[in-house]
Amino acid sequence: MLEVDNVSVNYGAVRAVHSVSLSVDEGEIVTLLGPNGAGKTSMLSAIIGLVPVAEGTVTFEGQNINRLDTESRVARGITVTPEGRHVFANLTVEENLILGAAIRRDADGVARDLETYLDMFPILRERFKQSGGSLSGGEQQMLAVVRALMSGPKLLMLDEPSLGLAPQIVDQIFKLISGLRDHGLTLLVVEQNAQEALKFADRAYILSSGNLEFAGTAEELRTSADLMKAYIGEGVS
Amino acid sequence: MDSGRPRRRLWHVEGARTLRSVRGATIIAAFAVGIGLLIMLFGEPYQVRLAVAAYINLILVLGLQIFMGNANVANLAHPGFMGLGAYLTSIFAVPLVIKKTLIPNAPFGLGEVQLGVVSSFVAAVSITGIIAALTGLVLVRLSGIAATILTLAILVIIHGVFVHWVDLFRGTQAFYGIPKVAGIETMMIATALVILVARLFKDSRIGVQLRASATNMLAAEAMGVNIRALRLIAWVLGGVVCGIAGALYAYYLGTVNARAFYFHAAFLTLAMHILGGMRSVTGAVVGVALISVAMELIRHLESGPVILGAQLPDLFGLGSLMLGVIIVLVMCLRSDGLMGGLELDEVLDRHWKRWRRGG
Amino acid sequence: MQYVAEQALNALSIGAEYSLLALGLAIVFSVMGLVNFAHGEFLGVGGYIMYAMALFGAGDIWMILPVCLLTVVITAVLLERVAFRPVRRAPATTGLLTAFGVAIILQNVFLMGVSPRPKAVPAVAVLNTTVDIGSFTFTILQFLEAGVTAIAIVLLVVFMRRTKLGLAMRAAAHDFTTVRLMGVRANRVIATAFAISGFLAGLAAIFFIARRGAIDPFMGLLPVLKAFVACVLGGFGSLPGAVVGGLVLGILEVVLIILLPDFLAGLRDAAVFFIIGAILVGRPQGILGKKAELGDKTA
Repeated sequence: MLEVDNVSVNYGAVRAVHSVSLSVDEGEIVTLLGPNGAGKTSMLSAIIGLVPVAEGTVTFEGQNINRLDTESRVARGITVTPEGRHVFANLTVEENLILGAAIRRDADGVARDLETYLDMFPILRERFKQSGGSLSGGEQQMLAVVRALMSGPKLLMLDEPSLGLAPQIVDQIFKLISGLRDHGLTLLVVEQNAQEALKFADRAYILSSGNLEFAGTAEELRTSADLMKAYIGEGVS
Repeated sequence: MDSGRPRRRLWHVEGARTLRSVRGATIIAAFAVGIGLLIMLFGEPYQVRLAVAAYINLILVLGLQIFMGNANVANLAHPGFMGLGAYLTSIFAVPLVIKKTLIPNAPFGLGEVQLGVVSSFVAAVSITGIIAALTGLVLVRLSGIAATILTLAILVIIHGVFVHWVDLFRGTQAFYGIPKVAGIETMMIATALVILVARLFKDSRIGVQLRASATNMLAAEAMGVNIRALRLIAWVLGGVVCGIAGALYAYYLGTVNARAFYFHAAFLTLAMHILGGMRSVTGAVVGVALISVAMELIRHLESGPVILGAQLPDLFGLGSLMLGVIIVLVMCLRSDGLMGGLELDEVLDRHWKRWRRGG
Repeated sequence: MQYVAEQALNALSIGAEYSLLALGLAIVFSVMGLVNFAHGEFLGVGGYIMYAMALFGAGDIWMILPVCLLTVVITAVLLERVAFRPVRRAPATTGLLTAFGVAIILQNVFLMGVSPRPKAVPAVAVLNTTVDIGSFTFTILQFLEAGVTAIAIVLLVVFMRRTKLGLAMRAAAHDFTTVRLMGVRANRVIATAFAISGFLAGLAAIFFIARRGAIDPFMGLLPVLKAFVACVLGGFGSLPGAVVGGLVLGILEVVLIILLPDFLAGLRDAAVFFIIGAILVGRPQGILGKKAELGDKTA
């Protein structure tokens, strides 16, 4: 579904990603691991078009999308929940979700999806008329995910969904994420929390200082203590 | 960061830096004064007059640069301070006989006071500095756009006082009879000194901290930089330099009118400042030089000249229009101005190095 | 009593005018962080188009008003496209200076295109017709200013709360990048913000010119300054703040007209700015503004 071919990304004069290739197939959950500053977020930004690709190509459903702007990529079915959630604090939960579906023209479908997701995430129904800013961290993360889902994406990219959340909430979030696959969604999840991410991912990539260090199945990484130690380090929780 | 190092070494570094600033300022001043010398030697009288006007504008732009270039707050109050410098100089320096007819009801017994040329200058610039300090106390509490709007308000207030405090400033009528003691030589000396002050300030610890904190005030405050104090110093120094520009203006023209210290002057000098590049002292010189020449050329067009036998229509307003166009173009294409924040000596050093490496 | 009522309506109508202008400034600022100093020139655009229409014999007020509004809206959108889009990602000061440039250009286009001198525009003078209600005397204009502004504000609130584009504009004030991640076009949001600000300025232009009966190239300067002040007073970027700031300014002006002795009347504007400065010393963030925190979108 998504092919990233030898992509390099620059931030100003600094090269954040060096010629990285990765792919995500339909129905897969792929996780992109690596320490802070490894270039994971830059990679996602390049895929969604927030930063330009310096070299290489990004292909989505067989079409080169290098030259498309962010809005057009979203319209094609890629979406991302940014790191730090970025819930619209001054809008209510309802308004956040309506805005999430901004590109859709099928009002009935939107209403149906809204009901489905509110059933899945009852806390959001409870907080429906509250402002996004009044939600707790975990609730905001759910809102951010559901808001992204409201656009009816084919590929959902999550940037550090567990960041700054209590372990209990993290469990809950990751359960929800693996549940999303059953809804026919393809996911690319960026995480620092390797242990957790590898529990539900099919395949994994590891970035370090902007270079691709590992590509393989999650199983492989999970079961090999050496690989884990080499790429993730023991201190990473 | 420096706490581990011996203190003497710190001073040593500071000394070397000061020396470099002085050297840089000398190069810039030589450039600015050089143009004037050439005009003085080979130019016609009207060109000398233009040069004097350009020098006054340059001092004003340098006053603008000291605050705006370092604190990164767009400022429009500077013609107000220039006006204060000019009016106050006039009030002190005009002979008593003339003053009796100009402002017979002068308050504070000013109608009976006449100071010498130098004392008037010092008194006027000092008072301008005090007023700058008073306004500055308010100004430094605000940041960014709010601060800019306050500078606009300050300009409007000062202008309002000029126009409506008839007893002291003669309202919309011109103030005249000021001794015409300043010529192009005075302007060149003053310009060189102000260039030195502006450059030293920019490279001083205050200037460096101010520029570093300008991009993010809150972060700077969090790091313990007393940004308000820094900005206040820059604001007062800038105001004083604008006051000097005004005093010299009065001593050159011999007559002062409130209209000269309002929005037109603000926009003209702002365009000069922006074109050259706000972040450098050299930028001020370059901007003033280019726009002064351009405005003179345009002035010919404005009066409907005859070109190739065809009488062109009056194009009054063309000069201002071009100022607007210059501002928009510079901002859209090269917001750092022509100098891009560099100083003349830095540019020369670079070329020199490249040339030596090449050879 | 009668005097108080008349002056109250007067303050309300002047305040409404400032509110219209300030709202337009605040909308554009909140969405894209641009302080549009050229906003005042929208008054000029409206005024000169009225003048031109009257000149070419299209003096019917029902034709003039919509054309005036439409022209100002188009000008606003066009300016965004030509001058402000290139500096969209630049620091706030760059945008502000660009806007200064645009203001100077427009002023001198009026000056060169028509005349440096004021020109009479009697087309909308009809609005100054006085109405007597009991013993009170008002002009139609005063009612219109207060009423139309109130309606415009209500419509704006509905738009911002009930439409996707309105939601996107509110969200953009908070976090523009994420709005783009929703697939909402940045250009569309910004163009809408400019169109709304132009529309509100168009309304203000009609009222302003009805009040003054004349236009001149620099007519936008003082009103935009006051609109700025209203914005700062209310808290820059806050839409309710802009309305409140405008009204406070209107009240302040009328009070000063009443209180200031004749020989100081000329200092009215200076006094207004002085009082505002004093208010800001106490509350640098404005009346409704909250204190800036690290990471906020600041001007």
